[in-house]
Amino acid sequence: MLDVKGLSFSIGNQPILSDVSFSVKEGEVIGLIGPNGSGKTTLFNVLSGFLNQTSGSITYKESDITNLSPYKRAHMGIGRVFQNFGIFREMTLEENVQVALEALPKNQKRELGDLKKVVKETLEIAGLQDSAKKKASSLSGGQMRLLEIARTLKSGNNLFLLDEPTAGVSPKMTNQIADMISTLKKDGKTVLIIEHDLPFIGKICDRVIVLDVGHIVLSDTPQNVKQSKELQEIYFGADPTT
Amino acid sequence: MIQFLLHVLVISSVTSCVTLGYNFVFGKGKILHFGQLVQTMVAAYGLWVPITQYGQPFFVGLCISISLLLIVTLLLSWLSMRLEPDGYGVLSIALHLIIIAIVLNWNSVTRGALGIPKIPRGILPSTTFGYAIVCVAVLAAWVFFLWRVDKGSFSRNLSALSENEWHAQSLGVSRARVHAIAFSIASGGSLISSILFSPYQGLLTPSDFHFPQMIFYVMCVVAGGPGKLWGVLGATTALVFLREGIRFVSISPSYIGPVQLLLFGAILFISVWIRRDTVFPKERKI
Ligand SMILES: Nc1ncnc2c1ncn2[C@@H]1O[C@H](COP(=O)(O)OP(=O)(O)OP(=O)(O)O)[C@@H](O)[C@H]1O
Ligand SMILES: [Mg+2]
Repeated sequence: MLDVKGLSFSIGNQPILSDVSFSVKEGEVIGLIGPNGSGKTTLFNVLSGFLNQTSGSITYKESDITNLSPYKRAHMGIGRVFQNFGIFREMTLEENVQVALEALPKNQKRELGDLKKVVKETLEIAGLQDSAKKKASSLSGGQMRLLEIARTLKSGNNLFLLDEPTAGVSPKMTNQIADMISTLKKDGKTVLIIEHDLPFIGKICDRVIVLDVGHIVLSDTPQNVKQSKELQEIYFGADPTT
Repeated sequence: MIQFLLHVLVISSVTSCVTLGYNFVFGKGKILHFGQLVQTMVAAYGLWVPITQYGQPFFVGLCISISLLLIVTLLLSWLSMRLEPDGYGVLSIALHLIIIAIVLNWNSVTRGALGIPKIPRGILPSTTFGYAIVCVAVLAAWVFFLWRVDKGSFSRNLSALSENEWHAQSLGVSRARVHAIAFSIASGGSLISSILFSPYQGLLTPSDFHFPQMIFYVMCVVAGGPGKLWGVLGATTALVFLREGIRFVSISPSYIGPVQLLLFGAILFISVWIRRDTVFPKERKI
């Protein structure tokens, strides 16, 4: 489904990502963890096409998307949830969803049918149907998250890049988000998810990739990763057994 | 007095057509574009040079004008995507200076600073009253068209892009397409003004295209509220009335120019100050 080979990215002569390679099978849910500044968001930005890799290649659904522009990648079904909220604060909630649906490729739009109805359903998923006409700047952080996730779900995506979807979200909403991701899994969708919440990762992911200073240091099942010594060192700062 | 009001009505309608188009680029799109007069000059000279200097019929002039305008529009929207926003802002000013230098110095075609006299009105009314009615009608049609556009999906795409490029693109919004449409709308305003303004004056002169005119457009958009159709329409009308009306205040004619500049400087300063949160994009990228 997604094949990343030898991906490197640097700003000036400072490397941010070094020789990152991994592949993701259709229907997998993969956790991406690592300390602050390890390059997780940068990896997503390269995958979305916002930053140009210095070397390496990205293959998605058997086609080479390494040099494709961001909106074309979006049209191919790569959806993104941003760490800093991808919500347009100056627009109403309704418009926030509308703009995403209208930007879909023509055939997908046709399949959706009545866009107004889909907008309503999307707001219902986020539990925000009563604030449709309100400006998004009136939402709390958690509500923006839910709206953004709901919007990505409803936009016919196949690969989801979720950047810390549970950051700053209450435990109840975190469960709601976990449920949404489980539903995606059931529907055979592929999810890459950046998280600092290890129990959350353990609960929903099939595999965990650990990133440290731009390198992949581990890629294993959640159980094995949790017990590994490397993770203790780079993530918690010390080996608790010593 | 009636003649003055009709005159102002003509000028404000024509100016509003330009500022309302420009509002989609600079106001709603928050694209730092100060080259609106590049489009107007290309449209005006493309239209009237073939007609007056080479004896071509109006239709031929119109085709030439639209073709040139199309090329310039695509060039501007392409540049606006290639450059960083501030870089494009500076470049658009440079382009304006280049085009006006060409207009001023290509004497054999544009007649330079003298301008082109005897621009024919053709089928347009010869009385100011009739002319005012035509201009208001054209403005009404343009406003209706832009009002429809403003309600549509293009306008939402543009707003989304202006608020955050990356977020909009991640949803599948094509920046190239949206910029091209926004600049085309702005060019539409320029084309209307070329068709209506020069025949009204009977003269096409470079002195109408100096940079203070561009600043006047910026002022109309900022004072009316960037992106707000009715606001920009109201502001343009009011400011044109003010600009033209100042001539009737009993001060020595040699003071009128400086007084206008001071007044408009103050208005621009105050409106930018009041709208400092909405004029320029808050975050362009992550
Ligand atoms: N535009 C930029 N200019 C300079 N350095 C940058 C830029 N963007 C990212 N970096 C650097 O790249 C490194 C990786 O940043 P990134 O945002 O990918 O980290 P992250 O793993 O997502 O961290 P966090 O867990 O805090 O979100 C950091 O050291 C950061 O300082
Ligand atoms: Mg990050």
